[in-house]
Amino acid sequence: MSTLSFTLRAAPTQVLDLSALIPSKLAGLSTGGIERLPLGADPHVPHVGDVFAVSGAPGEAVAILGGSPLLDYVGAGLDAGSITVEGPVGAYAGRGMRGGEITIGGDAGAYLASTAKGGLIHVKGSAGDFLGGARPGDKFGQLGGTVLVDGSVGERAGERMRRGIVVAKGKFGAAAGSRMVGGPLWTEAGFGPRPGPLLRRGTLIGPSVDELLPTFADCGRIDPVILRILSRYIADVLGPLAPKALPGAVRKLAGDQATIGKGEILLTA
Amino acid sequence: MSATTINGVVIDDTFAEAFGMSGLGLVITADTLKWARISAEVMTGFGTSVIGCGAECGIDRELKPDETPDGRPGVRVLIFGFSPDALKPQLVNRVGQCVLTSPGSACYNGLDSPTTLALAAGPRFFGDGWQTAKKLGKRRFWRVPVMDGEFVIEDTCGVTTDAVGGGNLLVLGRDRAGLLEATEAAVDAIAKIDDVITPFPGGIVRSGSKVGSKYKGAIASTNDAFCPTLKGAVKTECSPDTIAVLEIVIDGLTSKSVADAMRVGLKTLIETGAAKGVTRVSAGNYGGKLGQHHYYLKDLLP
Repeated sequence: MSTLSFTLRAAPTQVLDLSALIPSKLAGLSTGGIERLPLGADPHVPHVGDVFAVSGAPGEAVAILGGSPLLDYVGAGLDAGSITVEGPVGAYAGRGMRGGEITIGGDAGAYLASTAKGGLIHVKGSAGDFLGGARPGDKFGQLGGTVLVDGSVGERAGERMRRGIVVAKGKFGAAAGSRMVGGPLWTEAGFGPRPGPLLRRGTLIGPSVDELLPTFADCGRIDPVILRILSRYIADVLGPLAPKALPGAVRKLAGDQATIGKGEILLTA
Repeated sequence: MSATTINGVVIDDTFAEAFGMSGLGLVITADTLKWARISAEVMTGFGTSVIGCGAECGIDRELKPDETPDGRPGVRVLIFGFSPDALKPQLVNRVGQCVLTSPGSACYNGLDSPTTLALAAGPRFFGDGWQTAKKLGKRRFWRVPVMDGEFVIEDTCGVTTDAVGGGNLLVLGRDRAGLLEATEAAVDAIAKIDDVITPFPGGIVRSGSKVGSKYKGAIASTNDAFCPTLKGAVKTECSPDTIAVLEIVIDGLTSKSVADAMRVGLKTLIETGAAKGVTRVSAGNYGGKLGQHHYYLKDLLP
């Protein structure tokens, strides 16, 4: 498998849009053609060659050597193949992606995987606010695919998320699952304060909650079969990176009763 | 018609005539294999012949926990009907009445196919609005609250129109008890073949039929040529020493699976039949004009 590598020449000083650097958009381009691609829509933005040293041949894999919180839209629209980033990335990584894999060696900024429909994102650091969230103008946030965060997650993860799975080894910030319509958020470390405001459907899974909204109803301990299906599914998708299988029984908190209340927080500890 | 004799069992030079059908597979799991089997046996009950039962159903095989979506023991059942449309009410009724109701059960697709039927279309509404769905990858699972927790049912199940119904073996014997034992052994061997079922009671049918009847309205009637009590009165297919004839009917998701099942059934009868009083093995057909699939016994010999 040939890899096309982009090595940062120096730390960027302005926000750059890297959505052009996905395998399907680079296929068939010469190195010169790739270097002339603009990094954004503004007429004054730098071109790829101004920021990166390009090496290798276009194929299924793209590697970004280096990293910066100013690198936005990494892997946005990715449909197949892989993108590996050595360091951190900025906002909107994996936005609207439909397939393939993105691996981020450092932290990811806000709106990771917003409107993503498929594929897999692995963040080895932490993720910013609105992970899988809808930004203004979007009807929904994440629509499919799987996100794995080794570190912690910022506030309001899963904002209006509809489908897909987010797994975090670390803790979610405040108001995770805000206005969520579907899809599990799963943490091995717990949720920050007040998860699930206006949660319609969907499942928040974790060992603890810092502070519970009063609009979640305690349904007691339950042992639903879906936990087994979820554990097996995530083990299939993530392999050795998968979290420990869920316990047979969990405590269910149903909400948000301020809306239709078909969502749930499942406490595993 | 020249027959072959192997190990003292005569193998008629004839063929089984079978029909194209639609088939689907489901995986039923429960807390224990016992309860998965109970659910599967009840939901495949009254599923012997598509003519009178609406579908032909049976258990294909037991599944180990690592073979099921939820990691619990399970059973794969197969359901055959004339067409995908004809299978729809069967799915709703059988799953709704026999799987949904069974303690601890869950019901999943058991056949990968590009064509699908709505599996949860009926049962999920039992949730009265409390049902929720979880889509994992390409599969959507409905969770229906019930009194022992949640009934999980997959949204759709695969259906194939390449299935075959009516593969068969006719086993003739001169000893009733021995004939039954030998035929049971053949059914047990067939059970080890994947993608097939033997839908009749215990896999064996004693009332083989012919097309038509002297009575108006009856589309099938007793296969008098194979009735030993009529062998002096009609143009008989029985041998002079035939005391009973038993038939194994086989439905499969593919023509190959039906042929494989007939092959192992025939092998078992040849290897163990003579000692049990099996004298001949034949097959049922309608002259070859009705069914698309013809399985010649001579091609299936071990």
